[in-house]
Amino acid sequence: MSEITMQSPVDVGSISASDGSVTLSDAYATTKVQVRAATGTAAAATLDVPYGSSTRNVDGDLVCGTRPDEWTIYGNPGRSAAIVASVPTEGFVTVIDITHGRAMLRVTGSNATAALSKICNLDLSDELTPNGAVFSGSLGSVSCDWVRADEGGETSFLISCERSFGKFLFIAVADACTEFGLSVPRGWELHPH
Amino acid sequence: MSNRLPTQPGEVIDRSKSLSFTWNGRAVTGFEGDTIASALAANGVDVFGRSMKYHRKRGIMTADHWDPNLFLQVGDEPNVRAGSRKLQAGMVVSTQNVWPSLKFDLAAANQLLGRFLSSGFYYKTFMRPRFLWPLYQKVLRKFAPGGEIHWKTSKHGAYDKRYAHPDVLVAGGGPAGMGAALAAADSGARVMLVEHYTELGGHLRWGDDAQRARAAELGSACEAHPNVEVLVDSTVTGRYDHNWIAVNQRSHPIAPERLVKARAGVMVVAPGLIERPYVFAGNDTPGVLLAGAARRLINLYAVRPGEKAVVMTANEEGDAAVADLDRAGVEVVAVLDARKGEGIVSVEGKGRVTKVTTTDGRTLSADTVVTATGWTAPTSLLNMAGDRPIYDPSAARYFSSGDLPPNLLVAGGVDGDGSTDDLEAHGRATGALAANRALRRRHDRVSQTARANPPTWEKPTEMADDRTPLARSAHPECYRSSTHGMVDFSEDVSSKDLVQASKEGFDSIELMKRYTTVTMGPAQGKLETVNAAAVLADANQVAMADIGTTVWRPPYSPISLGALAGRIHEPVRRSALQDWHEAHGASPLLAGQWIRPDHYGDAMAEATNVRSNVGLIDVTPLGKLDLRGPDVPKLLELVYVNKWQKLEVGRVRYGTMVAEDGVVSDDGVTGRLGENHWLMTTTSSGAGAVWEMLEDWLQTYKPEWDVHVTAVTGGLTSINVAGPNSRTLLDRLVEDVDLSAEAFPYFSVRTGAVAGVQNCIIWRIGFTGELSYEIHVPSGHALHVWEALLETGADLGCAPFGVEAQRILRLEKGHYIVGQDTDGLSKAPTAGLGGLVKLDKTDTLGLPELKHAYERDDLPILVGIQTVDGTIVPEEAAQIVDGDSNRIMGRITSSRMSPTLGRSICLGQVDPSLSAAGTEITVLMADGKRIKATVQEHHAHVDHEGARQRV
Amino acid sequence: MIVVPCPNCGPRNSGDLRPAGEVVSRPDPATCSLSEWREYLYMRHNPADWVTETWYCRGGCRRYFTIERNTATNEIRGQEAS
Repeated sequence: MSEITMQSPVDVGSISASDGSVTLSDAYATTKVQVRAATGTAAAATLDVPYGSSTRNVDGDLVCGTRPDEWTIYGNPGRSAAIVASVPTEGFVTVIDITHGRAMLRVTGSNATAALSKICNLDLSDELTPNGAVFSGSLGSVSCDWVRADEGGETSFLISCERSFGKFLFIAVADACTEFGLSVPRGWELHPH
Repeated sequence: MSNRLPTQPGEVIDRSKSLSFTWNGRAVTGFEGDTIASALAANGVDVFGRSMKYHRKRGIMTADHWDPNLFLQVGDEPNVRAGSRKLQAGMVVSTQNVWPSLKFDLAAANQLLGRFLSSGFYYKTFMRPRFLWPLYQKVLRKFAPGGEIHWKTSKHGAYDKRYAHPDVLVAGGGPAGMGAALAAADSGARVMLVEHYTELGGHLRWGDDAQRARAAELGSACEAHPNVEVLVDSTVTGRYDHNWIAVNQRSHPIAPERLVKARAGVMVVAPGLIERPYVFAGNDTPGVLLAGAARRLINLYAVRPGEKAVVMTANEEGDAAVADLDRAGVEVVAVLDARKGEGIVSVEGKGRVTKVTTTDGRTLSADTVVTATGWTAPTSLLNMAGDRPIYDPSAARYFSSGDLPPNLLVAGGVDGDGSTDDLEAHGRATGALAANRALRRRHDRVSQTARANPPTWEKPTEMADDRTPLARSAHPECYRSSTHGMVDFSEDVSSKDLVQASKEGFDSIELMKRYTTVTMGPAQGKLETVNAAAVLADANQVAMADIGTTVWRPPYSPISLGALAGRIHEPVRRSALQDWHEAHGASPLLAGQWIRPDHYGDAMAEATNVRSNVGLIDVTPLGKLDLRGPDVPKLLELVYVNKWQKLEVGRVRYGTMVAEDGVVSDDGVTGRLGENHWLMTTTSSGAGAVWEMLEDWLQTYKPEWDVHVTAVTGGLTSINVAGPNSRTLLDRLVEDVDLSAEAFPYFSVRTGAVAGVQNCIIWRIGFTGELSYEIHVPSGHALHVWEALLETGADLGCAPFGVEAQRILRLEKGHYIVGQDTDGLSKAPTAGLGGLVKLDKTDTLGLPELKHAYERDDLPILVGIQTVDGTIVPEEAAQIVDGDSNRIMGRITSSRMSPTLGRSICLGQVDPSLSAAGTEITVLMADGKRIKATVQEHHAHVDHEGARQRV
Repeated sequence: MIVVPCPNCGPRNSGDLRPAGEVVSRPDPATCSLSEWREYLYMRHNPADWVTETWYCRGGCRRYFTIERNTATNEIRGQEAS
């Protein structure tokens, strides 16, 4: 229902460090479609992105190899039906719109990697985690699916987690960004005083 | 009195910046660059505190991080190491471990009682009589070392953490460490260089002009190198398997301490050497200090350590100290050359050295004694990797056995001796080797990591370890004079104590350590280990090499608990409706990771409203798994105790899971939404485990089954609409679904739009025992549906209810909760699953245990229980006992006051002998009272036939 | 915190995974004796030596896989020596 607005678990929009070195934005409205498809299915052949990497398809959606037999397609808000319809379903294939079920943040900027490395044990350097990298890993003790999706030449990560963890994830990431000049909005502190 | 010298060539103080601070309430000043101790020494302070056990006056001994006598209270921070902590303006510095004052210390009387406080102090003293222990405790606390923690008012600040992934981590920023870092970085490795002190340079910092110049050059090169991250005032505190390395970074701008968790390819261990004290009578008298301490005070801080000094030297450091003292205007009364057999016998003095007796029988008048008698190789990080260092008598110190994993390399002083150039060259060779190994590993990691692109560079060929080891300089074995003195200054353990311990049978180094606590203080053996081994070898009449050493474990140097805690990440899960609940007065309940509304003010009224009108509860935490594929029924038959093959589309069924040991593990309702599409619900706390368990069976046991499992717990906000008016309410909001009893019977599922929101899943079940529907709404639209239900149902008495009301309602209905009414031993018969369990399956989890359980007659049984006096609500977990005895026959698992019945109701597990309806049982209350209760025929206290929910 | 080589993700910190223990074979629940079943439930070799064990890549690819690990040294076969 288009007239009913999607309510995000993180309704703070976008906040930036004073020097712009890191920006934290809510991306909940992003359409997220998960595809599970066995090797040899038409869906697997169409998606054709190996686990760990991503590509933009002709429609401008970001197709990610999220797990060995799993893909996630991220598109602009409202593209759910179109994306679901684009996946061939012959064979053992599952297509689920997970838009509602996943909170999503975008973390961008020259200090994004340094900030996220405070609360994520994975090596996020360019060589281990190049632009386009797709992976899963804990961030602030929350299980997340990640895509490194740079924007305008700036390092940027799209990070999603189970919706109910969304607010906590935002708080944890914002806390990690304070070292780089981000002011945390009132009520969103990790350790309120 | 000022001990500050004129400008020294290598001083690190900035005389243009004077810093005011207080010392035991007295206003004093120092300079920027001073340590707290150097500033105090410049002000003429001799005595910095009292020793732990005997409360002897103590002064500067090592003038660095390891100084056992310089633990001070600074503001609200205890145990500050004044030998290394930089002075800051406004510091409020005071002694600790004195009572009632530094000058008059009551506990110093312990010195007179010394013979009672020797070896095994902890084990022998204050043991008897036992009834005096509370008094001992109070007194001991007064005597105990350590500062004060102001835990209620402390503003010490938040601690922090970060992760790091260096190819090469270098522990130690002296000439070898800096050489290693630069060579590794030049080879293309990403390097983290960790230096314990606030500046790079190691021992070159207090060296001659050439040494200081080289330190500055290397330091600048490290700071400028793009591949090197330099962490100063930081300590590698631990090395764990696969080079998981803990670095404690002090005085970081955003935190007093920050723990860096590094996964390093190769660690280069280059900590240098730590000077060790000499053991003789009076060796802890203020004024007795190490050669390195004298040199640091003079050269770094321009502080004259005394007026008249006797120097005992066995090495170049001692010789250099003589020159430094001379230059500083200290009168060197005598130089005793240990290489020629000269030495100190004992020292006398109260509060400061006054007299020194030498081995050639002289008694010298002096206020300062400087010793240079050898080195401890701090092999801690090597020990943590399994190395057991070996003693070399010709060099009078320990060396690595060489039995190290390939990701650990040693450079510099721990390996051997040499000039600045020799040490740097050894470091560079080690750094190059480290880079080679680390880059080979990185190449493998990049190749193996799914998210990384294949490496665009070639894997380096393996380099052989053809480094030339550093030479080992000859050094006399100087450990103890003919008299006894302190071995462990921080624990107040003397050589006499060690000899006594050996005589008492604690003659192994590890036993002696625990018995006497030698090496167990804040210096962690850096000063004491070698002397302790030497004293024990002497006492046991064996060679030092045969004594062995204690094993150094993490931390290398103590770390505060705050740093280990860091920022606290304890994720809290919130449903899409939690903001609404909080805005409407919900009392929060932490249930597992979820925060939920416990009640909105009056749980009893909420429960009553459900029985009479209609209520809404947010049950989002219910685990929800979307199951798709033709083989879902097979999977369900495997993991549930009951059967699933024949469940039709549009129907739901309740199922219980048991683990392979037959113990009830989870339960929930699962519905068939389409031919190959199911929705499984689990308990809130069990959702994650059930998901992993399903994946386990699908991946490792039945890989041929086609089933996709997707967790959708947070994606679907679950709202239970319960009460006699629920159908009327939903009729107003649900489109395209016939809600009539005939079209939508109990235990059915339909999909449709609710309040305009498409794709809602509605199933008719009855946890509360009322006519009720559970609606699963796409979460982004959940608030819209929730508010629509409340608004539309206002005239029907629709109101929210919380977890507490739900718990009351379900208990009235006798529904058990896994984990509350069952426990880790409850097998299927206990839970009363009789009819549900199908033992005629060929495979289901725990089948042999289930069969066995149903052959037994001794398992506890879950029963409904009502107290005879209905006003009494027995505590949950209250024991059910055998009459007047304390023989336990069961326990109350759930209890509440029932608003519907106006009396208390319970579920409980009882011995089978008590399980028959009508049996009178005894409940032992927490206050010791015994009350009577009766076993009921059914679990349900209200409407056991289910008439209310089937309308 | 050891490093576990996930065949799909690559090397990961063990905290990202769940150890599921020594690989044991499951007897046929329909025909096995109770004592055979309890061997399977409770008895493990637990040597200070090489074991084949299952890990679940909980934080990553969500796949179960097996590795050979030396319980005395934490050396893992196929991985570069640590």
